Amino acid sequence: MAKGKKAPEKILRQVPFCPGCGHGIIVRLVMECIEELGYNDNVLIGKPVGCASLLDNNLAVDTFTGAHGRNGASMTTIKRLKPDMLVVSYQGDGDCYNIGFSETMNAAYRNEKFTVIAVNNGNFGMTGGQMAWTSMPGQKTSTSVNGRNVELSGMPIRVPEMIAHSFDTAYVARGALFTPAEINKTKSYIKKAMQAQIDGVGHSLVEVLSPCPTNWGLTPLASMERIVNELVPYFPLGEIKNKGGK
Amino acid sequence: MKEIVFAGFGGQGVLTAGLVLSQVALFSGKKATWMPSYGPAMRGGTANCTVKYSDSRIYSPGQEAPDVIMALNIPSFNKFINMVKPGGVMLIDSDIVTCDTSVRSDVKVVKIPGTTIANELKNPKALNIIMLGAMVKLMGDFSEKEAIDGMNDMFGKKGKNKYEEANTAAFKKGFASV
Amino acid sequence: MGDMVKGNIAMGEAAIRAGMHIYCGYPITPSSEVMEYLSWRAQEAGRQFIQAANEGEAMYMVYGAASVGSRVLTASSGLGISLKQEGVTYMAAADYPAVMINVCRYGDGLGSLESGQTDYKRETRGGGNGDYRNIVLSPSTVQEAVDLVYLAFDLSEKYRNIVVILTEGALGQMMEDCEYPPVKEVPFYDWAFDGKYTHGPYPSQMAVDLHAKGMKNNEKRALITENEQRWEAVGVEDAEYVLFAYGIPGRVVLGIVDELRKKGEKVGIIRPISLWPFPQKAFDSINKNVKGFISIETADSGQMLEDVALYAKKKGFGNVPCYFISSPPGVPKSKYVLENFEAIKAGKVKEVF
Repeated sequence: MAKGKKAPEKILRQVPFCPGCGHGIIVRLVMECIEELGYNDNVLIGKPVGCASLLDNNLAVDTFTGAHGRNGASMTTIKRLKPDMLVVSYQGDGDCYNIGFSETMNAAYRNEKFTVIAVNNGNFGMTGGQMAWTSMPGQKTSTSVNGRNVELSGMPIRVPEMIAHSFDTAYVARGALFTPAEINKTKSYIKKAMQAQIDGVGHSLVEVLSPCPTNWGLTPLASMERIVNELVPYFPLGEIKNKGGK
Repeated sequence: MKEIVFAGFGGQGVLTAGLVLSQVALFSGKKATWMPSYGPAMRGGTANCTVKYSDSRIYSPGQEAPDVIMALNIPSFNKFINMVKPGGVMLIDSDIVTCDTSVRSDVKVVKIPGTTIANELKNPKALNIIMLGAMVKLMGDFSEKEAIDGMNDMFGKKGKNKYEEANTAAFKKGFASV
Repeated sequence: MGDMVKGNIAMGEAAIRAGMHIYCGYPITPSSEVMEYLSWRAQEAGRQFIQAANEGEAMYMVYGAASVGSRVLTASSGLGISLKQEGVTYMAAADYPAVMINVCRYGDGLGSLESGQTDYKRETRGGGNGDYRNIVLSPSTVQEAVDLVYLAFDLSEKYRNIVVILTEGALGQMMEDCEYPPVKEVPFYDWAFDGKYTHGPYPSQMAVDLHAKGMKNNEKRALITENEQRWEAVGVEDAEYVLFAYGIPGRVVLGIVDELRKKGEKVGIIRPISLWPFPQKAFDSINKNVKGFISIETADSGQMLEDVALYAKKKGFGNVPCYFISSPPGVPKSKYVLENFEAIKAGKVKEVF
């Protein structure tokens, strides 16, 4: 639970995401967890390419500029060389699951002891809302204007389940943001994921279903409703794997 | 400067024989290079290496015009016989290289029954060292003792002292066979 | 007296001695012995080693390792280095140091397993998108490979720039004796991420004035160009023809020039050791009445030849014809080079520039 309304001191200013975007909430949760775990002065955040690159210069923590999709590799060496540092890879689903699929999976395969926050908004937000591997069947995007045809592009990908069931990692969960209760649950997942890293248990990943009103062409409220009605049935919420830790 | 090629099937120890000679040269205060065939040549089942040694700087480490070639199979003999420089030597194991070897009148072919000697020593794996002994004798640049010390120094550093006695015996047999 | 040691293994050991903290790589012939050796040697020396899933991943590991201030090495060959180029340009944008060994194999695409010098252009021009240069050093003996790897880490740190050791399969695979320099224990660089936000906001590529940064990079490149030219020259002061060759061909051609000069022929050689910066200062000693420049490379087209012609022009030799001798894969044969040289002298070969 957040202890109060005061923003974490390491957030310098409001991060300029689109109105109704989920990133702002998720960044806040991540920074709250880092602060509450006592890692404000021993943390590195891996920044991706995509909307989350807007984190630039808005957080007063070391922020690594990852190559598109490649943070799974870069965080690997950072964590191995700085094992006491809390290393958090903050990535969108396009970065983490599409172009970075290999790096993401290989880091999990090796059970690298860092934490991935994967923001799943079902499209490539930064570049104008193209189809992602997480886009839903029939979803209209700028590269699937007639709706995603799963005959041609496969069914939406569920990377957290793949990792949880395939690799010997520490912690995998999926959260959402559509009610204060869900936000609190998501925060608890993020904190447990970081704790698993701190305890040296292994690799951790939390996916967060996040609204993208701008590219979905919906109001912020309608976007949240879409998550509840369309996404959660396909991307079930909750802890998928928890090997323990404190 | 001397240039020697060691050629044969993979597993006959031709690369090792070449390495021993280069190490013996270093041990005697000379400069040396060792260049293996690798990649596509290696995958074909035959292997060879080129060793050069000299009292001064060695420029090219590659095959140019070998003074001596050791061929431990027929394909190697056929491949290299035309490369030996005029007046050079082709050293063969006559138990294996049974083809017509009178190809060039300007190359001396030295035939050693290496496999027979190895069998007499009950050490078939020592063929390369026997042939190396013969090679060192032919080259005339190193004494028998110098060469054996250099060889044992090399294997010793690789943690293979246990073969020292067998290697020494094989080398001596080869040295005496020329 | 040293012992016979393989070029690839000697370079791996030199990296350990230069204070390398971590190696990240993916095996590829003819470079694999570098990582095979370091897979156990790094651990023995208290350093780290990671076998990546592919070449690209290895380079992003290098990128991460550099960001926290470690001395990091990767090695590969030809097409493997192609796969790394996105990571290389990211590192250039971030001014991160690293050492990258290219044990070059001959050819385009998959190429061949044979030794070659077909990667000169990529290594000396940067290789990825953007406008950066890597420092490129090329050894011609195992001893020089050791010395240059040892030096490369220091240069890389001094200029916050990637240093490429561009060598060839032949040198990686051959054995020669060498002396190793002492083992250094180097702390992590203090300009790097320490988790404490000590250095404030990271100079993000999207947030800074890119042109201003580019101008600063130009200053850095000018400084490197002034300070870091390296070469070996023989007989250029009275030469009628100056031969240019680096790496393994460099030592072969040194031998040819040595032989020819003993016969009284006025021929010289410049063997570039730094390929970028190209040793343009070497032109200052060349006979003003030289009749031709000849680049000998284990490549299909004259890649270094273009630099020879460029700097010939800059150094007042703009009217001197520049010829190319293309040597097939492997170690150039002296006889082959000599025949081609004779043909050039006889006027049977047209200059390229």
